[in-house]
Amino acid sequence: MAVAQPVVVAVVTEKQGRRNKEERRVKRIKKAKIRRAPSRSLMALSATALALPGIATADSPPTQSTVSYKYSNYQEDDVSRREAPFGERERYEIDVNQFRLLMPTGRNTSFQLDAIRESMSGASPWFTTADSAGNPLVNLSGASGIRDQRSEVALTGSYYLENGTVSANVGYSEEDDYRSRYIGLSGQRNFNREMTTVAVGLSYADDDIFPTDAELFNRVVSENKDVSSAYISISQIINQTTIFQTALSITEQSGYLSDPYKLLDVRPDDKTQIGWSNAFRHFFIDADAALHVNYRYYHDDFGISSHTLDASWYQNVGRDWQVVPHIRYYSQSAADFYTSIDDFTKPIEQFQSSDYRLSAFGAISGGINLIGRFNDWTLTLSTDRYIANEKYSAYNVNEPGAGLVSFFRVSLGIDYSF
Amino acid sequence: MKPVFLLFFLILAGCTQVQSFERGRLAQPEMAWQPDALEATLNDHIFFSKEASSGGSSAAGGGCGCN
Repeated sequence: MAVAQPVVVAVVTEKQGRRNKEERRVKRIKKAKIRRAPSRSLMALSATALALPGIATADSPPTQSTVSYKYSNYQEDDVSRREAPFGERERYEIDVNQFRLLMPTGRNTSFQLDAIRESMSGASPWFTTADSAGNPLVNLSGASGIRDQRSEVALTGSYYLENGTVSANVGYSEEDDYRSRYIGLSGQRNFNREMTTVAVGLSYADDDIFPTDAELFNRVVSENKDVSSAYISISQIINQTTIFQTALSITEQSGYLSDPYKLLDVRPDDKTQIGWSNAFRHFFIDADAALHVNYRYYHDDFGISSHTLDASWYQNVGRDWQVVPHIRYYSQSAADFYTSIDDFTKPIEQFQSSDYRLSAFGAISGGINLIGRFNDWTLTLSTDRYIANEKYSAYNVNEPGAGLVSFFRVSLGIDYSF
Repeated sequence: MKPVFLLFFLILAGCTQVQSFERGRLAQPEMAWQPDALEATLNDHIFFSKEASSGGSSAAGGGCGCN
């Protein structure tokens, strides 16, 4: 769902004011479009159009259409020999194709189409056992591994009012063993001379799970879960170069929440989750760069709490380029029923899971992105190296997770405004 | 919770009124909440499937068999 964006207009100096008049006359003749991400002087000129009375004070659809495509390759590190002395060690590789089209469709409306197609292959943890010293060992799923494709499509419509925006979205995702249908509704309103924006949203998803080779491996044949979620956020302009946002979300999941591909995995049939996110943006004029800092606190009734802290530095280089180093720190506690070694002697009704994603661990990730903006085109190259380790955890680690993941991701994106 | 509310009031008290024509810096793409929307969606999806946490700044979106 889109998050609140302040309504903005560029400053106009006296010198530019005179240039503006001539430029606007030329523009009217040529019917030139307002650029979405142009050079700074051109943006100041184009933004004066937005300063005209009646336009500046209303929420309005984007002035241009944009089509975006991003290709990503995601590769997990092999499981270490120490954790998997026998058999398969190769994990997941995923190719992701993302497509987005955003178009104004009238004075007050716009729509957005999203499509995702991803292919995944490889193996994932099936069950854990103990070695002679009692350390957990990971056994990956079968020699043939998994080969799956996922397709997702979503449509969002927005209606722009005097002091706010209302949006609705609907989506569908399908893969060999999973299907999800979801809807959402959100709205935002500006206050305090557009210095403050409050946004609220609701969403609902209905998911069906039908694991492959269900009878062969004694898995559940067909299950269902539904997810309801709500959020509220407040964004505030602090000064000409600083903005801050705080948001709270609550999610309720109910139905089949276990992992059907794990040999032994029994989880409660409902889960309540809360997330509290904070975002800070500051522009350093002398450095010609922007700093992004985000922090999120999460808690759920499986017993998991987490902290997420990330920072990015958007450094402008010349007229057309941006270099963006970024870093992220994540740490979570373990679920109440997490066990690093599957216990097949426990009664089947008792909750337990050796899924490393429910263990206490920390993760550090980072990379550098390169962005180039040329007239109507934007090219982005982004990278991310992620390493999870129980040693990075800010929480107590009673049982280190078996099969913590590390990965490398590279993406190439292209945007065109028209 | 009291220190949290105090912090928010201090932040609001520190806000200077910024006229619409003074918001040029805030309009620059690098000052957006999510300058690259597809990247943000991709990261949300990857971290959602490799970690236990989700949500925060928006309601839950679509599902996948990945978590």
